[in-house]
Amino acid sequence: MFADRQPRSFLDTSVLSRLAAVPLMSRRPMQGNVSGRHASPHRGASVEFAEYRKYVPGDDLRRLDWRAYGRSDRFYVKEFEADTNLRCCLVVDTSGSMDFGSTGITKIEYARKIAGSLGYLAVQQGDAVGLSCVANGIVRSVPPKRNAAHLMTVFDVLEQAKPQGETQLVSVLHELAETIRQRALIVIISDFFVEPDLLRGCFQHLRFRKHDISAFQLLDPQELGFTFRRPMRFIDMEGGPAVFAEPNDIADRYQKALQQHLARMKQVVLESAIDYHKVIIDENYEHVLMRFLVQRTQSKGVR
Amino acid sequence: MSFLQPILLAALPLMALPILIHLINQRRFQTIRWAAMMFLLAANRMSRGYAKLRQWLIMFFRMLAIAGLIFAISRPLASGWLGITAGGRADTTIILLDRSPSMRQQSPGTVASKLETGRQQLVNTLNILGSSRWVLIESTTNVAHDLESPDALLKLPSCEPASASADLPAMLQAARDYVQANKSGRTEIWICSDIRQNDWNAESGRWQTLRDSFLEFAQGVRFHLLAYPQIASGNTSVRVTEVRRVQTADSAELLVSLKLTREGNADAADASLRASVPIHFEIEGARSEVVVEMTAAQFELKDHRIPIERSRERGWGKVSIQADANPADNDFYFVFDQPTLRQTVIVADDPQAARPLQLSAEISPDPNNRGTAEVIGVEQLGTVEWDKTSLLLWQAPLPDADAAKTVQAFVDRGGQVIFFPPKSPSSDEFAGVKWQTWTESPDGIPVETWRGDQDLLAHTQSGAALPVGQLEIRKFCGITGEQTPLASLKGGAPLLARVTSNRGGVYFCATTPALGDSSLATNGVVLYVLVQRALASGAAVLGNTRQVVAGDPAGFAGENPATWQKLAGSNDSLSTDFAFHAGVYNAGEKLFAVNRALAEDHATALPDSRVTDLFKGLDFARVDDQAGNIAALIQEIWRLFLACMMVALIVEAALCLPKLPVGGNVPLAHNPVGT
Repeated sequence: MFADRQPRSFLDTSVLSRLAAVPLMSRRPMQGNVSGRHASPHRGASVEFAEYRKYVPGDDLRRLDWRAYGRSDRFYVKEFEADTNLRCCLVVDTSGSMDFGSTGITKIEYARKIAGSLGYLAVQQGDAVGLSCVANGIVRSVPPKRNAAHLMTVFDVLEQAKPQGETQLVSVLHELAETIRQRALIVIISDFFVEPDLLRGCFQHLRFRKHDISAFQLLDPQELGFTFRRPMRFIDMEGGPAVFAEPNDIADRYQKALQQHLARMKQVVLESAIDYHKVIIDENYEHVLMRFLVQRTQSKGVR
Repeated sequence: MSFLQPILLAALPLMALPILIHLINQRRFQTIRWAAMMFLLAANRMSRGYAKLRQWLIMFFRMLAIAGLIFAISRPLASGWLGITAGGRADTTIILLDRSPSMRQQSPGTVASKLETGRQQLVNTLNILGSSRWVLIESTTNVAHDLESPDALLKLPSCEPASASADLPAMLQAARDYVQANKSGRTEIWICSDIRQNDWNAESGRWQTLRDSFLEFAQGVRFHLLAYPQIASGNTSVRVTEVRRVQTADSAELLVSLKLTREGNADAADASLRASVPIHFEIEGARSEVVVEMTAAQFELKDHRIPIERSRERGWGKVSIQADANPADNDFYFVFDQPTLRQTVIVADDPQAARPLQLSAEISPDPNNRGTAEVIGVEQLGTVEWDKTSLLLWQAPLPDADAAKTVQAFVDRGGQVIFFPPKSPSSDEFAGVKWQTWTESPDGIPVETWRGDQDLLAHTQSGAALPVGQLEIRKFCGITGEQTPLASLKGGAPLLARVTSNRGGVYFCATTPALGDSSLATNGVVLYVLVQRALASGAAVLGNTRQVVAGDPAGFAGENPATWQKLAGSNDSLSTDFAFHAGVYNAGEKLFAVNRALAEDHATALPDSRVTDLFKGLDFARVDDQAGNIAALIQEIWRLFLACMMVALIVEAALCLPKLPVGGNVPLAHNPVGT
């Protein structure tokens, strides 16, 4: 796939090969346009029996269940589940705050790894992949397609994504809910430094459109620990006013605000049935993705 | 509070060090680009109540620790002596020690007297404060002595209690003279006294002069008063008012009159004052006792008879009462002798006037002691035995140069003179007083006022007034010069006046006993009492026994106390200081009984406001102590400040401790959480 191209900094072939052992499953029926490995809301030609249905004129006689006719003297048509592919929409937050990282890796780099790996895995199993880079609007958008060449485009866009501008995640998610066709897998990778109560509306809007939503919240260890010793001047990466603070003085209240945010976030994702993953960016992304894939495998197939 | 090293207090601004460090630290901030601003902003919006308080408390305790250290090394003193050492060590410290008998008073339940306690407190205090030079001025001699160290106050005999009253103005005068003569630097004057009115003499005009002169010293003089103003309620004092030896046919007796005075509220209920007081008499070593019942604040025992050997014509005795709050006024010494011959010399130019005078002088109230009166002319003055004469009655022109010297010498020895106006007054004067012209009034001029409380016209012992008002003055001679009227005629002219003299008595009577001049002769009571009282005073000086007030220089005129031998009295007194200690002493044939002054028995403390007034304008601090107090007046309390500093540091450390992690709020950084 990459024979004639430069290796991507955010892709690791050995990780990808290990992750490829676990399929990327959707938790809800998907509406693809070709056969795939995901459940479809429609009946199809898979080997998995779905139901009996009364024969109506016009049905293909070949699908008539003669045995049932023999037993009940009534005409029944035997139906099977349809398998289809999915559209995977990767939503990557490219606002200024994603440029933060205290452990040698920034959030945006981490987001690239997750998005790139998931895109690769999806395309490899025949699913379509699209990408939306969002900040104070949709900065770049690539519609979902399932060919390998398209994947290159997605990678290019990912590579070029620059973290800048304010986060307008709420309005962007509402916009995406309206623009993305029904029944897609939407993976949101962001730090979610937004009021969780506002996010609740977005998530419900997306669910109303029957999308399967996954959220990766990327947090830096320093943001969680807040272990500063000297007085600090904090400059807002998204252009807001700077704050001068004595860490000893403010740490406890910072922690309190952070914990409140995380608790509310957790409540919102539970209420909205979001596949939520809090990720601390000093953790190996392979583990994060493996956990993500395995969990989805266990909860797949709800039609 | 005061400090021994006040200069170190200049380091107090170091207290601002924590603030300074805080400000410097604030300037050493780091800048970081930060993503999670929403939490920071939320944290800023949250209430900062306790956190802010904690920061202030930490700052406060750090400053407190530094302050504690600085105060500790400044060596603070805990005392009421405000501002003792502001300005550092004194150059000269002058100690004025009141040794008067009232300073021997003890507080209930203690054995230390005011004087002992005061000395001990001074030693403790002054040893801490330090000085370059120590000077003692004690109340008997009022002379400045250099001390090697304050410890000497405990050892010196001149710091022991005495029977002489103190004279604070004179002591301060001595202190002022010392400061002036020695040009001492910064001077501290410490006064240890019980501020009794008779010792302080607050009405004296000398105080104003002293204040002004101390204010003139540029080097600064500070006064510290260690006061013991408590009055010992219930303290009883004894005083012998009269001793007479009477001889009967086959024996001799001593008639002793004495007075007991109890301090405290004179208006208190009788029950609280009623007490049996045993009085011990000691006559030349022979003891006897009489118990009297005291029902009021004062008690007088009149003419208590004590038989003595017939052959004992002179001797000494002692009256004591039981121990009470002040041991100094429980003893009284007296001496007795044969009554001396009451010899009077009359110089008269009018025989009519001379005769009544002679009769008044010759007729003695004591049948055992006849008086003699000799009428002489001025020219016969040289033949008079002045050493045996008690009274001089002078009814002639005032003595001129030589005669005046003779009369003055007689007065200085203690003799009494009464001048009556001559027929034709001359321009001569005696002791600054001279006669004017005669004024006649045939109807008689009544006497308007006279002093009944003291001196020649005082009331009798029974309290009855002399019939001075019944006198008729038909002629009187005016008196000019500095004199104190004892009786005044209607219109203000003096009838009897006393002229100030160091010893003896000089009186001027404005009329004569002659029949045409006044009714002094016909109404003889006043004249007789007047002459006999003057005669008694003059005779008292002549005798071989003398009652002397301790420390009173007038009582020792012509004597040298250093040569006395002690017959009775305290064993603590030095032979050179006998004049200041109660006791009986003999010098050759003479016997001296030395006792405390009368004012010591009625001593009352000077009010606080009055004391403050006396030192008005001066640098003055006062502390009231009480006898037997063992708590030091001042003590170094640097340990307290060091402890404060340590406590402040511990509290500061406790406040600085990071908060203990609560519940699951922490180590989030390494606790990945899924949904």
